[in-house]
Amino acid sequence: MVRLLLALLLALPALPAMAERLVTQVSQDSVSITSSFAGQTLTLFGTIEPDPGATQPLTGPYHVVVTITGPLQNRIARRKTNVFGIWLNTSQVEFVNFPSFYQVLSDARLSEITNPITLAEKSIPLLKQPEARQGESWYDALVFGPQLVRLMQDNGMFRLNESGVTFRSNTFYFAQVALPSDAPPGSYLAHTYLFRDGELIADRSEGFSVRTIGFERFLGQASRQQPLLYGLVCVMLALFTGWLGGVVFRR
Amino acid sequence: MQVYLPIAELSMNLFFLVGIGGAVGFLSGLFGVGGGFLLTPLLIFSGVPASVAVASVTGQVVAASTSGALSYYRRGQIDLHMSLYLVLSGILGAFGGVATFQVLRAAGQLDLVISLGFLLLLGFVGTLMLIESGRAILKRRAGIVVREKLPNQHNWFHGLPWRVRFKKSRLYISVIPVLVLGVAIGFVGSLLGIGGGFILVPALVYILRMPATMVIGTSLLQVVAMMAATTILHAVQSQSVDILLAFCLMVGGTIGAQFGASAGKYLRGEQLRALLAILVLAVAIRFGLTLVIAPTDAFSTAVIGAAGVI
Repeated sequence: MVRLLLALLLALPALPAMAERLVTQVSQDSVSITSSFAGQTLTLFGTIEPDPGATQPLTGPYHVVVTITGPLQNRIARRKTNVFGIWLNTSQVEFVNFPSFYQVLSDARLSEITNPITLAEKSIPLLKQPEARQGESWYDALVFGPQLVRLMQDNGMFRLNESGVTFRSNTFYFAQVALPSDAPPGSYLAHTYLFRDGELIADRSEGFSVRTIGFERFLGQASRQQPLLYGLVCVMLALFTGWLGGVVFRR
Repeated sequence: MQVYLPIAELSMNLFFLVGIGGAVGFLSGLFGVGGGFLLTPLLIFSGVPASVAVASVTGQVVAASTSGALSYYRRGQIDLHMSLYLVLSGILGAFGGVATFQVLRAAGQLDLVISLGFLLLLGFVGTLMLIESGRAILKRRAGIVVREKLPNQHNWFHGLPWRVRFKKSRLYISVIPVLVLGVAIGFVGSLLGIGGGFILVPALVYILRMPATMVIGTSLLQVVAMMAATTILHAVQSQSVDILLAFCLMVGGTIGAQFGASAGKYLRGEQLRALLAILVLAVAIRFGLTLVIAPTDAFSTAVIGAAGVI
């Protein structure tokens, strides 16, 4: 009897963590930017399944938080001050490995899903302090960091949507994320976290890419790899257009 | 209809782009200027990054000036000898301008210099033109016959060393003021994304005393050559020329310029100059206000390069 109890006690903490797993899918592996690209909506969906061998039935309620992180960039944040009546950029801080796009979707208020410490550990909240370039003053970084996050929220690249995840059944959910037309091309990471009773019980990440294809891709590459030729073609095009305009409209 | 601009990395409405190209082209045809000084700020105000706007407009200015330059060339109203000096020194100035552009962009002061440059340059030129054309209109009202300034009045700097005979312009002057003018226009033009036609025309008339028949054609050729060189320099150095953006503007601009040129026949020279002066001053004031009025957001941000992939 004592042995059985001991065995149960030992097994108990391990059981809930092993009971569920996430099966997730992004509606598209790659988003193509074509000439008429005006943004696109992606659907991320998934189900909560019992682990193979788990005997416990799935008991909710579950909460899902999805974060989507865009390609990392080095960014600079600047502040204008008034110098002799003229507004000019007087101070700036450089931040490295800063996401160009960051969205958090959840099915309930983050504060209801779990405690702030767990959120901070997974860097889910938007207000995480960005990483400044080495050598920047820590005080400036502390002032400019939140401002940079706010600017990114203002231009729509950072967003927290606490009703972005919808449960269709107890175990099936989907989330929709809108990529704006100026979403930076690159690789994106979608990270899904599953919570129950404030505990993180499973997580999964999946990647997708946003890239220009066809003619747009060709132009972008040409401008970087063959800049001289690209410039010459640009001038030729301009001269030709100007000449053609003169010919067509000559009276 | 949205069109994705691969270098600016955003999509804009095609009709909007062709439309502003056309509207500015109309004005440039009307006044005989490239129109860069209007188009660059318009693009910046509508959300195109300043560096892409400046670099792409140079392509549009080439197209807008080409048809004009060609028709003046056919009529023999271009002083090719003078152009050679202006263009060569101008390209030298453009190298300096593009290099400065890079330094300023890295230091975060590009927007300031563009605003300040437009304010001072446009304010100065606009005021001068307004005064000059205002006087001309008043004199015409009063019935005074306005005499053209004689081309052979010389200033002290015409007599500097290295005098060269420019047959077509009937000038025998030092090349030093010509070269200085070329470098200055090249520098300012590549820095601000303007052809510099509206500075070059008065400079050729009042400083070099070039005959009026040669001025517009020579200035247009200078603009074409300068802006072509600047486009290539920008493409190589800052890689911020968006060929699709430039092409949309070119198409609108070339068509608009033709209508502008025919509309220009219904207005007299001094009236045209007065209107252009008001337009130039309006743009200058707009730039002045952005410098003086407190910004709604003191903070701004820009990408300075890609980091590692996730």
